[in-house]
Amino acid sequence: MTTVAAQSAEVAQIDDARAGAGGSPRRARMTALGLLAPSLFGVTIFLAIPVVLVIIFSFLRWNLLTSPQWVGFGNYVDIFRHEGAGHALLVTIYYVVINIPVQTVLALGMAMLMNRRGRFTAVVRVLCVLPYLATPVAMAVVWQWVFDPQTGVVNTLLHQVGITGPDWLSSSSWALPVVVFANIWQYVGYNMLFFLAGLQAIPPQVYEASSIDGATTRAQFLHITLPLLRPTMLFVLVTGFIGSFQVFDSVYVMTQGGPGDATTVMNQLIYQNGFQGFRIGAASALSVILFLVILLVTVSQFSYFRNRTTYEMV
Amino acid sequence: MRSTIVVRRSLYYAALVLIALIFITPYLFAVMAAFKPLSEINSDRAWNLPTHFTFDNFKSIFQQYDFGTYLLNTAAITVILTAGQVSFSLMGAYAFARIRFPGRDALFWGFLMMLMVPNVVTMIPLYVMMSKAGLTNTYWALFLPYVFGTPYTIFLMRQYLLSIPGETIEAARLDGCSELTILRKIIVPMSRPIIITATIIGVIFSWNNFLWPLIATDSNKQQVLTVGIANFNSNFVSQWNLVLAGSLVALIPMVIMFVLFQKHIVNSVNLAGASR
Repeated sequence: MTTVAAQSAEVAQIDDARAGAGGSPRRARMTALGLLAPSLFGVTIFLAIPVVLVIIFSFLRWNLLTSPQWVGFGNYVDIFRHEGAGHALLVTIYYVVINIPVQTVLALGMAMLMNRRGRFTAVVRVLCVLPYLATPVAMAVVWQWVFDPQTGVVNTLLHQVGITGPDWLSSSSWALPVVVFANIWQYVGYNMLFFLAGLQAIPPQVYEASSIDGATTRAQFLHITLPLLRPTMLFVLVTGFIGSFQVFDSVYVMTQGGPGDATTVMNQLIYQNGFQGFRIGAASALSVILFLVILLVTVSQFSYFRNRTTYEMV
Repeated sequence: MRSTIVVRRSLYYAALVLIALIFITPYLFAVMAAFKPLSEINSDRAWNLPTHFTFDNFKSIFQQYDFGTYLLNTAAITVILTAGQVSFSLMGAYAFARIRFPGRDALFWGFLMMLMVPNVVTMIPLYVMMSKAGLTNTYWALFLPYVFGTPYTIFLMRQYLLSIPGETIEAARLDGCSELTILRKIIVPMSRPIIITATIIGVIFSWNNFLWPLIATDSNKQQVLTVGIANFNSNFVSQWNLVLAGSLVALIPMVIMFVLFQKHIVNSVNLAGASR
């Protein structure tokens, strides 16, 4: 974020529309505002105003049909007492806590494995990115079939080696891991691309010099690769966390939050409150809480990495 | 010595083949199943080729059910949404990157703040706004929130436009070109990589978008593929022949796009990553 500010200050010195023929500052401003008008309109109406509204709505009892009633923090108390907000938060955190480490380690491992020349390697590298485009809803249907207890591929394979597979999506202990698996399958190759770019930005001389000094592969990984990948790591983790906290499509299609409430993540609970129960206030309060959690996690990652990024290589 | 190298190489290739299989078999199995009758899907192995090859599943979802409408809706929304998002974002990004005007930095920081807002936070108010405006269950509801450009695309494009050398733009300004002419004649041709990137991001987002269309529409006429597939899936539980064929209607166009533009797609991911 600091780089952005620095860049815009730099740019302010370089370019200057006032240098243009007949361009006065006022004219430059009119042109700029004209160009910005559509996006300014869109961002204000469909992003900024909704953010204000969601906070206001979270203090109302409202089903859209009767007139809204101010209840103060009533919804916030209510969602934890009666709507299972605490449970949904735990399920979401459980999802994030298995999803992010597994996905990040796999993505980094795959990037290190395939960070070399060769036509076949290049083809496989590209194939890994294919799931990034796969429609999550459609893939969720495919996974539902693959993990079907009776006719699914997974249990058929397990049966061949003499194991009776679990009921996967109808099992309260396996349903969430299956959802995690589906999401890792979708995004691991996408994240691998960022690590590949990060690895390629590390000068080979660094590794050569350390080998001469007798560094082991393990030492090189811990003391060269990981520290120099920190900017990439920050990007992958921040975007990964933000996306994971909002998981919805695969949950909605594969489990509807079930069995019971075993996979009722925050987003599923928001949907149920808002659009199945029309409790606009409760759904808004849940949204505000999710927003705060995401904000807190994002800010703490930025400060953690800021304190530790000592190398400015990339 | 030589044999250990051979072993290591074979292990490496075995690992690559395994990775490739993990990423393509779900597609392959689903494609094969979509051409089998239900009885064969349930009785035979997923990795066997269809023995009773049939188009009936696709005929059924397009003729008896509304997948034709869903597909057209998704395609139309994707085109409108992406075209708007790319052009409006480019205009905004140009103003932020290349025109100096009072209040620019404050406005840009405002946009950056909006970048932090997760999609889900706006869903409830958007629904309330749309329903008060009488726009739920219309095509308008589906693309209006995203068609005017997103902070993310504007940010990406601004970063790219900053790298275009200033002399070209200055020279054009001295020649008396208007900002619009500069945008059209200089910036657009020079920004092809970032325009392609933004287009790819827009298409993937719009084609796969689910939560908002699910909320904003509840009649078949306006429904998009993702919502259609989800409803179909809950109405025809375990009719794998039909629901898998339905899913492929959404998946196959994206696979085709991937094959045609894979280089651009990989580059676009790198470009998006590099600008952070």
